[in-house]
Amino acid sequence: MKYDIVVVGSGLGGLECAHILSRFGKSVLVLEKGSQPGGCIQSYRRGRMLFDTGFHYVGGLGEGQSLHAAFKSLGLLRLPWVQLDRTFDRVTIGAHTFSFHQGYDVFVEALAADFPQELDGLKSYANLLRTVEEHQLDVLNPSLSETLLPAELFEKSAFQYLEETFHDEMLINVLSGTSLKMELRRESLPLFTFLHGNSSFIESSWRLQGDGSLIAASLANDIQAYGGKVVCHAEVQELVEKDGRLVQAICADGTVYEGDLFISDVHPAVTCSWIKQSQKLRKAYRTRVSGQENTFGMLTVSLVMKPQTLKYFNYNRYVYRHPDVWTFYQKDGPVGGILMACRMPEDGEYVRQVDLLTPMRWSECEPWSDTRVGRRGDAYKEMKERRADECIALAETVVPCFREMISARYVSTPLTYRDYTSTPQGSAYGMRKDFRNPMQTVLSPRTPIPNLYLTGQNLVLHGLHGVTMTSLFTCAEIVGKERIWNMLRDEA
Amino acid sequence: MTREEIVEKVNSLLSEEFEVEAEAFTPEANVKETLSLDSLSLVDLVAIIQQTYKIKIPVSDLREIKTFNNLYDYIESHLPA
Repeated sequence: MKYDIVVVGSGLGGLECAHILSRFGKSVLVLEKGSQPGGCIQSYRRGRMLFDTGFHYVGGLGEGQSLHAAFKSLGLLRLPWVQLDRTFDRVTIGAHTFSFHQGYDVFVEALAADFPQELDGLKSYANLLRTVEEHQLDVLNPSLSETLLPAELFEKSAFQYLEETFHDEMLINVLSGTSLKMELRRESLPLFTFLHGNSSFIESSWRLQGDGSLIAASLANDIQAYGGKVVCHAEVQELVEKDGRLVQAICADGTVYEGDLFISDVHPAVTCSWIKQSQKLRKAYRTRVSGQENTFGMLTVSLVMKPQTLKYFNYNRYVYRHPDVWTFYQKDGPVGGILMACRMPEDGEYVRQVDLLTPMRWSECEPWSDTRVGRRGDAYKEMKERRADECIALAETVVPCFREMISARYVSTPLTYRDYTSTPQGSAYGMRKDFRNPMQTVLSPRTPIPNLYLTGQNLVLHGLHGVTMTSLFTCAEIVGKERIWNMLRDEA
Repeated sequence: MTREEIVEKVNSLLSEEFEVEAEAFTPEANVKETLSLDSLSLVDLVAIIQQTYKIKIPVSDLREIKTFNNLYDYIESHLPA
């Protein structure tokens, strides 16, 4: 059978594109190399517990907010989302803790109470966050010829903006303190990425009652209900081009799938490596794509807590040893910052699962880059357990006796991530966007091959929100922006 | 780097990367047409020049680069000291 659309990779972006296009009546096939769909939102089982790979919380699901219409049309608002506390994020730096409130006005008010002399800066920051939200879909709006977002948001350094807007260095650290969900890097992070990665969470923040694979399962079920197909254990090894168009995906077991149009939700460099011969894909494109740097990966410490020891907290904690939020992970020495997120308990008030995450440089993993899961040796184990201990020690500065509450722990590194999600260097957020080079580092969903499109976190934006926006952009290239715009308008 | 060296290196680089015979690269030939560049692959050209020569070409300057001679001139005058 020949499909209208073959999607390679079942990460959030791939599943979302498949969902949208199958709903528009296309015959869609999704190929996934792993044993379950989900990519970076898949979960993994340890004992009786399911742990998350990447997903922890999402913003902007409230009515009229930035992700509401898209998630509604994707059927994802049916999932058991629970809104976090009014103070949804707490940033601890050394001995001081600061709160992020939901709602732009309250957000500004609360921080201005701690930094009264910065009220004007905070107001203008909140306005900029609002602007980014309001115009995030401009490129799909049929009545606009181009986005109303100022181009300088892409060409300006996030760090420089913060330094120009605020006087108190501590406030810059606090405002950046929840941004472990992106790669804080002075030399490259564009202001737009920073704003987009923060704004929707301030609108409203939500956690799933359950693990991230519920999202993948919901999308996959819908795709199948619309007549599409999601095939696991289908590891694509070659994309075959004929007369300048892709015609086939060939899997490791020799199975051949034919399609009219292909979407890759896999890292663009990996995607290019599958196309052995091409009239359209010249070396220049391959060089550009493979020459781009990737963001850092994450060390994840997945903890099982002893029953009835730790009370559930309905917010996220970000904990830093020192006010060096932008640079701590580049320094040698013990782990300097973590995100601490609880799984919402099914019943009762005590937590059974806590995740601690911290960025990890590829150089730390490199000695084991040739090894596979479960066969990396004792030195690797020693390294990751030591890092996990440091994360736990940092968590203990905000939750006394935290270590004693732990009954089991599982540690994964960017290497684990690389092997399960096909992301070079186990990068958590894909290709690095760079304000010095916005044109080159923000990839288009279109490729030199007219029936091959890209989607996923490597392109424009990352995170649940960013990847969803990118899926809309990819589908707009395929079915036209009016149809996507109307789809969202009908849901609003 | 002399002008001749720039011309030789740019030609061999672009021939290799864009899979076009270097004989077509005459000084007055149009770069976009010769290399069959569209809006997507124009970015690839900018990326290659940047990676090779550490020269960033802003969009406004890109419009001024029409012929191969323009490109050689641009690289020659923007090479880091």
